[in-house]
Amino acid sequence: MMKLNKRIPAILLAALMVLSLTTGCVSQYVDKTTEAPVTTKAPETQGTSAQPGTTDAPAPSTEADISGQSLSVWYAVSGTSGELFNSLSEKFAKEYGVTLELSYSGGSGDTATKVSSALLTHTQPDVALMYAGPLYTGGEGDFRIGELMNTTSDFDKADVFEGMLDYCDYMGEGICAVPYGISTQVMYYNKDLLKASGVDMTNPPKTWKEFYDVLGKVMESNKDNDKIKAFDTNDEAWLFKSMLMQNGCTIIENNNGEITPIFNNEKAVEVADYWKSLVDAGYMNAAQHSNAEKAFLAGNTAFIAASSNRISRWTGTTTFELGAIEMPYFTQPSLALGGNVLVILTEDESKLQAAWKYVNFLANAENNTTFALGTGYLPIHKSAMDRQEVKDAIAANEMYTVAFNQLQYTWAYTHFQEMGTMDTQIKSALGKLEKGRGTSQELLDKAVKELQSEIDDK
Amino acid sequence: MSSQAPARKSAPATKKNKIRLFGREYQTNEVMVGILFILPTIAFMVFTFILPVIDVVQLSFTNFNVKTRTMNYIKLDNYKYLLQNEEFWKSLLNTVKYSVMKLTLDTSLALFLAVLLDKSIPLKKFFRSSFFAPVVVPMVASSLIWIWFYDPTVGPFNQILGWLGLPESQWLYHESSALWSILLFSLWKGVGYNIILFLSGLQNIPDSYTEAAKLDGASEWQLFWKVKFPLLRPITSFVIMMGIINSFKVFAEFNVMTPDGGPLGSTKLIVSYIYELAFTNGRMGRACACALMLFALIFVLTQFQSMVGARKTVDID
Amino acid sequence: MSKTKKVKYNYNRHTATFIILAILSLAMIFPFVWMILSSFKTAVDVYQYPPRWIPSTWNWKNYSTVFEMIPFLRYYINSIVTTIAETALQIIVSVLAAYSLVHLKWPGQGFMTALMRSTMFVPMVVTMIPMYLLCASLGLIDTYSGIILPQITTAFTTFLLMSYFASIPQDMIDAAKLDGCGPSGVMMRVVVPNTKGAIATATLFSFLGNWKSYTWPLIITTKTEYRTLPIGLKYLTMESSSEYQVMMAAAVMTILPVLIVFIFFEKQLVRSITLTGMKS
Repeated sequence: MMKLNKRIPAILLAALMVLSLTTGCVSQYVDKTTEAPVTTKAPETQGTSAQPGTTDAPAPSTEADISGQSLSVWYAVSGTSGELFNSLSEKFAKEYGVTLELSYSGGSGDTATKVSSALLTHTQPDVALMYAGPLYTGGEGDFRIGELMNTTSDFDKADVFEGMLDYCDYMGEGICAVPYGISTQVMYYNKDLLKASGVDMTNPPKTWKEFYDVLGKVMESNKDNDKIKAFDTNDEAWLFKSMLMQNGCTIIENNNGEITPIFNNEKAVEVADYWKSLVDAGYMNAAQHSNAEKAFLAGNTAFIAASSNRISRWTGTTTFELGAIEMPYFTQPSLALGGNVLVILTEDESKLQAAWKYVNFLANAENNTTFALGTGYLPIHKSAMDRQEVKDAIAANEMYTVAFNQLQYTWAYTHFQEMGTMDTQIKSALGKLEKGRGTSQELLDKAVKELQSEIDDK
Repeated sequence: MSSQAPARKSAPATKKNKIRLFGREYQTNEVMVGILFILPTIAFMVFTFILPVIDVVQLSFTNFNVKTRTMNYIKLDNYKYLLQNEEFWKSLLNTVKYSVMKLTLDTSLALFLAVLLDKSIPLKKFFRSSFFAPVVVPMVASSLIWIWFYDPTVGPFNQILGWLGLPESQWLYHESSALWSILLFSLWKGVGYNIILFLSGLQNIPDSYTEAAKLDGASEWQLFWKVKFPLLRPITSFVIMMGIINSFKVFAEFNVMTPDGGPLGSTKLIVSYIYELAFTNGRMGRACACALMLFALIFVLTQFQSMVGARKTVDID
Repeated sequence: MSKTKKVKYNYNRHTATFIILAILSLAMIFPFVWMILSSFKTAVDVYQYPPRWIPSTWNWKNYSTVFEMIPFLRYYINSIVTTIAETALQIIVSVLAAYSLVHLKWPGQGFMTALMRSTMFVPMVVTMIPMYLLCASLGLIDTYSGIILPQITTAFTTFLLMSYFASIPQDMIDAAKLDGCGPSGVMMRVVVPNTKGAIATATLFSFLGNWKSYTWPLIITTKTEYRTLPIGLKYLTMESSSEYQVMMAAAVMTILPVLIVFIFFEKQLVRSITLTGMKS
């Protein structure tokens, strides 16, 4: 194979490539989006399905018989959460005589990949439990869920935490998902380590300033053990966004569909400076957040900010006594929501009712609370707090008290296409900040600039 | 089919059995059978390569976004974007760093060990198996073990460093060590592969060659460089070519060990960048452009390598 | 390598060789030993400092945890079925192609070789979406064919086989031709029998290459019954990334069967590699 003239194949190969351009071996999906090359948000992909929601309001026949129908469902939660989701779904299937085809679609990234590719070929599931769901409904011009919420009595919007409805919004255009499997970050701590450090947690620190002093005490009494760190988080972008909000920076501005990132303003720089001070003082490891969870479980970190779903995952498995406090704040308590939402993706209008029934069944106060308590995700209903099982859970595990109390001040920014890029940019800025590769202002400016150019580049 | 039996390379065959194509003479039956045998390959290639790559080429000139399904023709904008993009160059630099180290270490270590294994020593079979075993085990499963090894707090590597009196490392969690940690893992995982290739090459060297050299009084060292190494050239060439291709395309171990691109993006390689463009950001057009640039790079490198390889073979002859 | 050589000649150098090999081979095996020992540890053992090498109690629970978390057996079977099918197809196609490219002369061979080599340059991540669309239009989503066919990439195996096929002496082939063999006769009677070892090696390598594929099976399947093992393992790591011991139990169950098959297969493999040698 070595002795053949190299140039000929190379030229031929190049020719093939050029040929492929000119002959326009049109990729199969161009005609599937729209025939016109200029498509901004192909509304056609939703076909006729999007219209009924908007034009003729779905018949109030909410009692329509849905038995005998079948729904395909993808879900992005695994382990105990996945099992519980399955068993609740099966309960629905039994009660309503609907066949459910459930399949785990991988983690949030994998599910997003799968759903994107499925939407291209119209092979998407009827319902999905996924992260950033509004991008795949509202982002496609599909606000059927919002319509159904308004036109049917199934879903009691007033009973749902406001922040969670914001979490289901696309570009401020409307609700297009149902919150489910929602979480916030909780400040967990290693009780044994703090006790050994002589820190009294009966009056936990309320602000980041007080928290800083506590961290100082922890470090002081563990001077001789260089493995011990006072604080870390396993999701720095998430925590940073909460902190921005706590200091009065709204992260992005949405002017009628024009998203402008503003996390490089004065308020944001203050937060970043505080963040940097944690590293400078040696309280937090620089850029080791991906190892934070393991370090904490190994008993080497006093505090960790991590998702509330760790309440159920960690309880009883740690080698030390685990505790949790409400997240400290700057000027006002505030926490960014995270986690999944339920979306209806079906293109088959006849399945819409069944899908809506199913989503409602999962999200009703009773079932959602069961799911929340079994997984450490948060209940979406205000009334859930009055339910006996919640009271019991709080009595049995004080960490639930913390997580549920925090619900009062949760919030979410609207979904927009580049939100994934925003998190990447924040992460990268924080990493550089921790390593001293620039000042807070420089690094945030750069992150904002990069994000802005992504947003502008449609 | 045996009617052309008398047709030998040297012997002039009858006109009937020959066919003139593009100014060269071929034997008709060889052309027929040859093309018949290559057809299945072509069929799969069309399906898994040509059709998708035609799409990729086309998409690289559009701003196709999987998420919003925008698709406009934007000429060379994707290429311009990439060439001006800091992350593209950084991931390319990481890839080059990794590839150079991997290629050098992997090839030389494999050759060294293959030569050692070619001697008659006790437990030879056991050694050979132990070097090859990591190759056969699934990547994801074995990287789970190594993630633990690299754990700065509860992993055994830091413990071992401690015993040896060496300073502890942050392994995967520090920007200066993360890439090399993954390299170490991929050496463990991959070196056996090339050992087997080299070993089979060494064992194919006729004993008469080595015996003759020994009679001439050649030392082991001379024997290796003067006799064995030149004879191994086809295998070496193959190993290097595959090494270039695979190390530029490496993805799996990086994705499992540092899913977020490592500390300060120090383990973000070009394929991870492509993956991020295509799936995290949905920017398929850009991802396609980036993939084609990677394609061009590997193409140039392997062409260069095979030219160098070919010239050396000539020298030896 | 005759035995007499070894005994009288540089015994010391062989001792050095032995020691180097022994140390390195222990290093190669260490991860497996660690894996097996650790799969019996408890969470307390795992997070102890300094690290504990031998578990404090032999705890089998980690294994049952794996089965609780994923339908392990189903995934395993799927992996085996798809990998075997991919490998078999790959080998058949590659043997034919390699023979055709090395021992037969026909126009366009150079182009074909270059084209095949270039198939190796494109990372799967980009061709995935176009290929997914193609497969969707062919109705291959959620089928074994959908998992198998797009992953048949024969270039590597073909090149590997080509480098072995090329080592068959031309006079052997000429002799067969004189005996009345046509092109396919030469392949069946001379080339294939003389390169069994090479084909075995290629089979093994191709098996290993197919065994690990993750992203494609994930995208092309939507139902649990078609999922393969790497997907299952990823599933597990996402849920229990901090439970090293459970991951080790899963790793043991994934790795051990492969290792056992390998130990049996290796004898064959190595013997045939040695047999391939055209010792003149």
